[in-house]
Amino acid sequence: MFFRVMDKARIADLVRGLSTEYEVIGPVAKGERFTFSVIEDPADLRLDFDTTILPPKKFFFPPEERMMRFRVADNEVVDDEAFASPRVLFGLHPCDINALLLMDNVFLGEFEDPYYKAYRDATLLVGVSCSPRETCFCNAWDTDEVHWGFDIFLTDLGDRYFVSVRSVMGAELLDRHVETSPITAEDTAEFQAVVREFKRAFPAKLDTSQLPLLLDAKFDDPVWDELGERCLSCGACSMVCPTCYCFDVRDDLDPDQRSGERKRVWDSCQFSEFSAVAHGQTFRESRASRVKYRYYHKQWGYLSKFERVLCVGCGRCTHACLADISPREVVTALVEGSEAR
Amino acid sequence: MTASTTYRQLKANPYRPWPARITSIVDLTEKEKLIEMRLIDEAAREAFSFDAGQFVEVSLFGVGEAPISISSAPSKQGFIELCVRRAGDVTSALHQKQCGDIIGIRGPFGRGFPFPEMKGHDVLLVAGGLGIAPLKSLINHIHDDRHDFGNVTILYGAKNPSEILFRQQFDMWKHREDFELIMTVDQPDETWDDEVGLVTKLFDRIDVDPARTYGAICGPPVMYRYVIDEMRKKEMDADRIYVSFERRMKCGIGKCGHCGVGHQYACIDGPVFNYWEAMNLQEAI
Ligand SMILES: Cc1cc2nc3c(=O)[nH]c(=O)nc-3n(C[C@H](O)[C@H](O)[C@H](O)COP(=O)(O)OP(=O)(O)OC[C@H]3O[C@@H](n4cnc5c(N)ncnc54)[C@H](O)[C@@H]3O)c2cc1C
Ligand code: SF4
Ligand code: SF4
Ligand code: FES
Repeated sequence: MFFRVMDKARIADLVRGLSTEYEVIGPVAKGERFTFSVIEDPADLRLDFDTTILPPKKFFFPPEERMMRFRVADNEVVDDEAFASPRVLFGLHPCDINALLLMDNVFLGEFEDPYYKAYRDATLLVGVSCSPRETCFCNAWDTDEVHWGFDIFLTDLGDRYFVSVRSVMGAELLDRHVETSPITAEDTAEFQAVVREFKRAFPAKLDTSQLPLLLDAKFDDPVWDELGERCLSCGACSMVCPTCYCFDVRDDLDPDQRSGERKRVWDSCQFSEFSAVAHGQTFRESRASRVKYRYYHKQWGYLSKFERVLCVGCGRCTHACLADISPREVVTALVEGSEAR
Repeated sequence: MTASTTYRQLKANPYRPWPARITSIVDLTEKEKLIEMRLIDEAAREAFSFDAGQFVEVSLFGVGEAPISISSAPSKQGFIELCVRRAGDVTSALHQKQCGDIIGIRGPFGRGFPFPEMKGHDVLLVAGGLGIAPLKSLINHIHDDRHDFGNVTILYGAKNPSEILFRQQFDMWKHREDFELIMTVDQPDETWDDEVGLVTKLFDRIDVDPARTYGAICGPPVMYRYVIDEMRKKEMDADRIYVSFERRMKCGIGKCGHCGVGHQYACIDGPVFNYWEAMNLQEAI
């Protein structure tokens, strides 16, 4: 990895330059909150954003996506081309980059997913440092730092950015579009100071001791029933989660009924039909069992395969949940006991 | 298949069904049909090899996909046989198909029975209802290598005599003393002169040498616990008892998340698990 420093005022140059070659997507204000949108004017880019309503997963795994066009008569695929145009996602926090790396394990591992891969290959990532909100707990999973998976990462040093360059493309684009200078020992010292301050700014660190084991040992704990009574099964937590990847597949016929599209759409384990099979059996009938499954899969199921938990502590689900259910609460109830909450 | 579709295209996208032509359809019961098909592309056909216990996703464009166990033996090269019960959209549409029609197949997927390890041992197979379909693949495979196995016992329970599947084939094998087959039904009719009651009852009639026996169980979810209890009473090892789980599946390749069973996915980690593994899967049995 190599490093540069860049004057903050130069961000507009970089964005404008990138826009000549790519579609640039970044955080913009939407009322009081922020969303990832196409940046038409560099002035719209809000790198001081706290978080976005939806995570960047929608650019790699859209809420609804055409998988293939088909012809009914001979059951033939007409087109299954995965297509993605070149773009830059500008302004991802470490949690969101880490979330993509977790998604990669699923979609780019065995049985590589051509649709996700096309988007992934066509997209450059520019990260930016952040400061924790009260709902952030990325530090519990070590996802508050990111060491690879981005092309360029910008750490805010006040008047300038400490620029970490991870990829050849990142280096070339930086070179082509913006003026930067080599780092000095003072820049590095200041970078370290910023990082230290960032780590200190977190609320009390979440205790995750023996969490995977406790999920089994306390599988019948009353805390799940209590959560089940509150949960509305709305699925919002899955939709806003940068690491939730479940989907449903459906066939939509054209008006002529002769051809159509097979699509995939976001789905959630919080819906009761999610695990329904023929003969009317549903494996997770109760809300309690479904809330539990969401945590069980994230903190143990996924971990058992990829040695990481499937959560980056972004806090989006906490904000989205009308029943005030948050991972912080759930994990604390399990690790410290229900009384400790 | 259109001339434009190549084997490379098929391989490039695990969601893309491979065209297969239906070569034969046999009505087994009112609800079940045995459907045999052949992949159209030659390279795809040659590449298609599977283990007993694995499944395919059957794809009917405009309707959807359904996971179905392969019921033919792996040794029957080039042909894929499925035993399909009419249960909903896809399976009903499949029942409407005729010989010569083209359907889509993806797979084979999942982990099947550990055939190589089972060799040299006795095998006790227990099926309930449609659970006989994946076990039939195993039975056929054992039949092909019959001299490599000791005693092979099949316990098979069905609701009533008219719902018994593959009866002729079983009668033939029974006759040739390749297998010991004991059947039971819940609701006998006047033609029935065999056992009546649950499949677990049949354990009284068999001798099991736990040191040299593998078990394989497939049937409705409620059946597993009781059959496993009987096998454990016969002192069979937990890691030699194999079960196959049915879960909802949308992709078959570990992506859509629908088939979660405990901390695993039935589509890639199963559908066949041994009992030790299954005991460690929450809410599995
Ligand atoms: C590994 C595996 C192997 C299998 N092997 C075989 C086999 O060899 N032979 C065989 O016949 N079957 C087999 N099955 C079962 C088969 O996959 C199902 O019967 C099939 O998927 C039903 O699909 P369908 O489109 O026909 O039914 P669907 O139209 O999907 O529905 C059938 C029924 O399922 C329930 N259901 C489905 N979707 C929902 C929903 N969204 N909400 C609520 N309820 C719902 C309903 O009760 C509905 O009546 C196997 C399943 C698995 C997982
Ligand atoms: S579970 Fe919640 S905190 Fe964790 S990654 Fe998903 S949305 Fe963020
Ligand atoms: S957002 Fe909250 S209420 Fe909605 S499904 Fe998730 S946990 Fe339940
Ligand atoms: S069927 Fe999609 S993950 Fe198993």
